[in-house]
Amino acid sequence: MGELMALLVTSVLVNNVILTQFLGMCPFMGVSKKKSSAIGMGVAVVFVIVVAALVTYALYYLVLVPLHLEFMDLITFILVIASLVQLTEMFIKKTSPALYKSLGVYLPLITTNCVVLNVCLVNISNSYNFAQMLVYSIGTPLGFALVLFIFSTIRERLEQSEVPNAFVGNPIALIVAAIMAMAFSCFTGIV
Amino acid sequence: MNRFENFKAGLIKDNPVFSLFLGICSTLAITTTVNNAIGMGVSVIIVLIMSNVIISCVRKITPDEIRIPVYIVIIATLVKIIQMLIQAYAPSLNTSLGVFIPLIVVNCIILGRAEAFASKNGILDSALDGLGMGLGYTLAVLAMSFIRELISTGGIKVVNPFNEAQVWLNLHIIPENFTISIFGSSVGAFITFAVLAAAVGAYKQHVTAKEEAAAKEEK
Amino acid sequence: MRYLLAILFFGALVAIYIVLYLMNKKTPKPEGCEDLKADCDGCKDFACTNNPAHNQVKGE
Repeated sequence: MGELMALLVTSVLVNNVILTQFLGMCPFMGVSKKKSSAIGMGVAVVFVIVVAALVTYALYYLVLVPLHLEFMDLITFILVIASLVQLTEMFIKKTSPALYKSLGVYLPLITTNCVVLNVCLVNISNSYNFAQMLVYSIGTPLGFALVLFIFSTIRERLEQSEVPNAFVGNPIALIVAAIMAMAFSCFTGIV
Repeated sequence: MNRFENFKAGLIKDNPVFSLFLGICSTLAITTTVNNAIGMGVSVIIVLIMSNVIISCVRKITPDEIRIPVYIVIIATLVKIIQMLIQAYAPSLNTSLGVFIPLIVVNCIILGRAEAFASKNGILDSALDGLGMGLGYTLAVLAMSFIRELISTGGIKVVNPFNEAQVWLNLHIIPENFTISIFGSSVGAFITFAVLAAAVGAYKQHVTAKEEAAAKEEK
Repeated sequence: MRYLLAILFFGALVAIYIVLYLMNKKTPKPEGCEDLKADCDGCKDFACTNNPAHNQVKGE
């Protein structure tokens, strides 16, 4: 139990997926301009990653390994993730317009999100058992959502300050990310 | 735009990393050393050229509605082949680049160029475009890793990826006491990237201002 | 034999993906949800189905 808690804290704070592992930068830069979009994106990411990790884990150990087809892992994962996203979007469109309004738009952006593919690949390469895989797959997108939310609040304030011309837009956002990375690096001693 | 113009544009003006902000994930992560940057840059060039060529070849027979899924499948297959080749022939590169080789699949540059260019142009044009964008990417990661490695460790060290023992280049420029080791970590990556992106943005603004002034004078 | 299995598996996955993709494209968005692209800056990401590239006819 303690080991799982350590894994959770590691994946959310210490090895934070954006600030330490540099994954998920594209949606990080694109969707973080407003708080509401950040929240929507965060929830969508958590959902997609948990489901995708479960399905790919099951597929790898129940189909690929018994048939000695491990080399198919990359192609399988990417196709499964893309199909899952399409299925989820279709499902949400048909069942809940309110849900679609809040997070349906961000679902397709997650298909090529580095984070999803990374979580699926790491689950396999670190040989996690089921409980560890579950904890890692919940912790990583939680860390992503946390940083995305904080970042969006800062960026909203940034709109009203004076920034040098060349730095407007993405460069100043990256400097903010650098400062946040410095802040989060203080978590390295915790576990 | 004729093909040479397009090729040149991929290098600085439309540099995929600093200008279009594509493929940022891998740029930030692998630029800790020049060695990694060269390895990754070459892999991206190879995948880009090959995927552009293949997609350009099949562009006339893919049904229009499903072309994006088809491109994703083609790119995934290509990257898996490259990954297996690297695992076999350059294992040290495999350990240092780690998970970022398979993540080339989701690198926005490749799918972006496939959709924006290769699906509409001939084979030679697409290959040249892939080469231009790949070289732009390599230039960008080389610049970043040069700065980061120099400041964080004081020197540059390049080894032969196929044979680790062979050192190609080993410079020590800054003495140990003056190195700023934080540049090797994520903080330094963000700062370097931000400054370089601002520099390229300023250059672009300068160039467009000059072009507009010239156009106004002609009127 | 193993490689035949791999190719069949691959073909099955690709078929499932393409079928789901086409089905998703045909389901209409619920009313009031047509224009939600404004918040998103990810238009360089071509795998995202919100990107207008998915609705253009090739060559136009």
